[in-house]
Amino acid sequence: MAKEKIQFEVNGKQVSLEVDPDELLIDVLRDHLGLKGTKAGCRAGECGACSVILNDRVVTSCLIPALKADGGKITTVEGLEKDGELDPLQKAFVEKGAIQCGFCTPGMLLSAKNLLDQNPQPSVEEIKVAISGVLCRCTGYQKIIHAIHAASKTIPGNEV
Amino acid sequence: MMEKEKRKKKVLVKEKVLEMPPVMEELSTVGKSAVRVDAYAKVRGKLQYGGDMDYPGALHGKVLRSPHAHALIKKIDTEKAKTLPGVVAVLTAKDIPGRNGFGAIIPDQPVLCGNKVRYIGDGIAMAAAISEDIAIQALDLIDVEYELLPAVFSPIEAMKPEAPKIHEKGNLITTSKIRKGDTEKGFKEADIVLEKTYTVPILEHAYIEPDVVIAIPHADGTITVKGPMQAPFTVRRNIAPVLGIPINKVQCIQTPLGGGFGGKEDSPIDIGARAAVLAWKTGRPVRMEYDREEITLSTCKRHPMIIACKIGAKKDGTFVAIEGTIYNEQGAYASLGPVIPPAGGVHAHAVVMLPGPYVIPNVKVDGYLVHTNHPYGGAMRGFGAPQVNFVHESIIDELAGLLKMDPYQIRLKNCFELGSETATGQVLDQSVGLKDTMEKARSEFHWNKKWKQAPHPKEVEKADKRRGVGMAVGWYRTSIGTFGDGCGVNLHLQEDGSVLIFQGLTEMGQGSYTALSQIAAEALGVTLEDVRIVTPDTDVAPESGPTVGSRSTTLMGNAILIASEPIKKSLIESASELLAIPTERLALKNRRIYDRDDPNRFVDLKEAARRCMATGRRMMGQGWYAPPRPSLNLETGQGSPYFVYTYSTQMAEVEVDVKTGAVDVLNLVATFDIGKAINPIMVEGQIEGGVIMGLGYALMEEVVMKDGMIQNLNLQDYIIPTALDTPEIKPIYMEYLNVHGPFGAKGIGEMPNIPAAPAITNAIANAVGARIYDLPAHSERVYMAIKKRLAEGN
Repeated sequence: MAKEKIQFEVNGKQVSLEVDPDELLIDVLRDHLGLKGTKAGCRAGECGACSVILNDRVVTSCLIPALKADGGKITTVEGLEKDGELDPLQKAFVEKGAIQCGFCTPGMLLSAKNLLDQNPQPSVEEIKVAISGVLCRCTGYQKIIHAIHAASKTIPGNEV
Repeated sequence: MMEKEKRKKKVLVKEKVLEMPPVMEELSTVGKSAVRVDAYAKVRGKLQYGGDMDYPGALHGKVLRSPHAHALIKKIDTEKAKTLPGVVAVLTAKDIPGRNGFGAIIPDQPVLCGNKVRYIGDGIAMAAAISEDIAIQALDLIDVEYELLPAVFSPIEAMKPEAPKIHEKGNLITTSKIRKGDTEKGFKEADIVLEKTYTVPILEHAYIEPDVVIAIPHADGTITVKGPMQAPFTVRRNIAPVLGIPINKVQCIQTPLGGGFGGKEDSPIDIGARAAVLAWKTGRPVRMEYDREEITLSTCKRHPMIIACKIGAKKDGTFVAIEGTIYNEQGAYASLGPVIPPAGGVHAHAVVMLPGPYVIPNVKVDGYLVHTNHPYGGAMRGFGAPQVNFVHESIIDELAGLLKMDPYQIRLKNCFELGSETATGQVLDQSVGLKDTMEKARSEFHWNKKWKQAPHPKEVEKADKRRGVGMAVGWYRTSIGTFGDGCGVNLHLQEDGSVLIFQGLTEMGQGSYTALSQIAAEALGVTLEDVRIVTPDTDVAPESGPTVGSRSTTLMGNAILIASEPIKKSLIESASELLAIPTERLALKNRRIYDRDDPNRFVDLKEAARRCMATGRRMMGQGWYAPPRPSLNLETGQGSPYFVYTYSTQMAEVEVDVKTGAVDVLNLVATFDIGKAINPIMVEGQIEGGVIMGLGYALMEEVVMKDGMIQNLNLQDYIIPTALDTPEIKPIYMEYLNVHGPFGAKGIGEMPNIPAAPAITNAIANAVGARIYDLPAHSERVYMAIKKRLAEGN
């Protein structure tokens, strides 16, 4: 199979590389770009550990051919912190005890990030829906939900 | 009467209530909700898990698996596979350098099957190639000829004399029992007797991180195996004989676990031994990863059981007798099931736990652990307890209904308190907070306001949706127990006052590194930031046993306290010289060593550490902790199999859709007696996660089998709870201090998982008057139960 050239923005940086037509986005992120924060749990789009934000939508990168990302804009967990400063969501996950084994954490954070970007004051139900595509076997979700809720309160204009 | 008096006397003579010594100083680190030591690495996506490791030049290993549940292997032809470009080795049973068998308790599972396969997923051959794709293609080129054998898929069928024999020794592995009092006499004295049979399904751990290892052979005849493992010492103990080398030539290094739940006590033996053989034979590093479907297909599961239970009580609800028969399906291999001293597997625990945390004078339990041609049962959070807890909590709830009693009151009347004697004759001499957990749950849940008798079928028929409440209580051990347990650590003070801990218990998300660091910091008077736990590595860590049985905090915590003593002595002696204050007046806290009489007179701990170094004082401590020796007579089931227990009460409110059987859990209160909570926010995390895993057991999880084949291999079919299934959970803990625990701790990992399922199914029964005897209570099953109840009327 002939390789194809693609170009996209990942965590604010333009990258261009050659990929096989059947190569999946998760493998490009992990193996070509070294972004190993994106995890593979089931490779069937079910566990959500591989979730990334692609053009303002959360996608399971294990199901997306890398070619689909051509010209797109991607955020992975490594792109959440800005100039060494953690995103409010990351801080809230740490403070509220929302992390256990940590394997689902990147997918959870990105699902939450995309939610807050589009809906800065979500209800608990909206939070649950937003993260329902990411499976967590450790936490029982409650502390994750609380952390996302707490982070939403730090968004300017949302303070209570 | 005489008999009763005699018995009471006996209990009182044996009863020696132990009291926790008062804690002299205020604690500065223990008991605080410190941020997890690994939180920042995890939240930044930077923590390196096993699957994130690159090893240049590593080969990729894959396993060929049996498509048959029971068959003889007549021929394996690997010639074609070996000629595929990029393939470096194709191995079968005859290539195993040492013992062709592994297992957590007995080595009955072949690394590669030589003449027989016993379940679908059994390993037959392996290939190592320069890429994973080529290794997979190589497997396709292996020809295997089988002769099919009749298979057996039920423990009851497998116990029959005419059943196909899966192992040479037969299908019955272990019979375990409890004999206490005289149940026949007890049932005669009872005013009411209830007898029911329950079934619980096979469960998959569904840890999100797949199993993966890298095996690296070295020129000096040693080998390193790295990967996520709950029990690096168990993995090492298995790899050495498989390679035919001594244990000290195998190094197992743990990578951070993306969840384990008992499953990664067993699976790393399997994948580790196979990768090690490939590495040994090729002389090259080998990476092996099981994909999700391979994990579900081939690794251990929660034991399914069929349990018949009979209980007798007086009119006032006093229990007089209980009998239980457990048909415990082990599947193809022994794994962590059997009771073979010194190992007391899942089966021993299930038998001991079946009578529940209740005082019952007459008890008879018979448990049969039986091989079938299904996937094998191993450890899973609760280790046999969730299965039997569902049984005793269901039958007691139903009994309460028949006696027109509040299910809270019937439990309160019979449950353990300080001085109670268990079914195995153990007198609970300390730390029994069960009644308080009940009382606390009752008030937090508003049980008295919410609970009413289950409705008449006519009321159910009229409704679209009905709400109900249910409760369950439970108990769980700390430590491996049964026949013994022990755990070691090395503590090293550094000259700047920082500390390294060398130990072998693993961090799998439960927070052990943080809790153990807090204990070390408290003991040595340093801060949490001053302590670092060295990655468990069997070459440098002392034997610590496995990370199981809710034992890490208590056993390793104690070992750390023991190890800290000589270091403390050195620090205080050095400080005494620096301050010219006698040693007995000095104490360590918050990086200072100060005069108890005048805390303003102090020296920085790092100054004292530096002086220890300069003056040649001892800077290391070694700790070995073995809890009070347990006992269990295998003939009578009498003894003290575990040295301390945790307790829990859970209450759930559900809404049942009468027309579809769908169940929505609305809210849940979960209270615990766990001894000292070393890190409260992490304790809450364990509670919430365990409860939701129990909710999965109650309502949705089941490995579906058909002719020996799993029907739901991936997570689109094997359904676990999502955020949308999460009710509001109120996690509450109480601290009945354990005299044998560090700062009074007992453990928390497994207890939350246990009473959640029956609390929910009892709530279903309370909502619609229909009982669930088989898990999971998915909507179809609930719908059928309602339909049956309505047809019966009354």
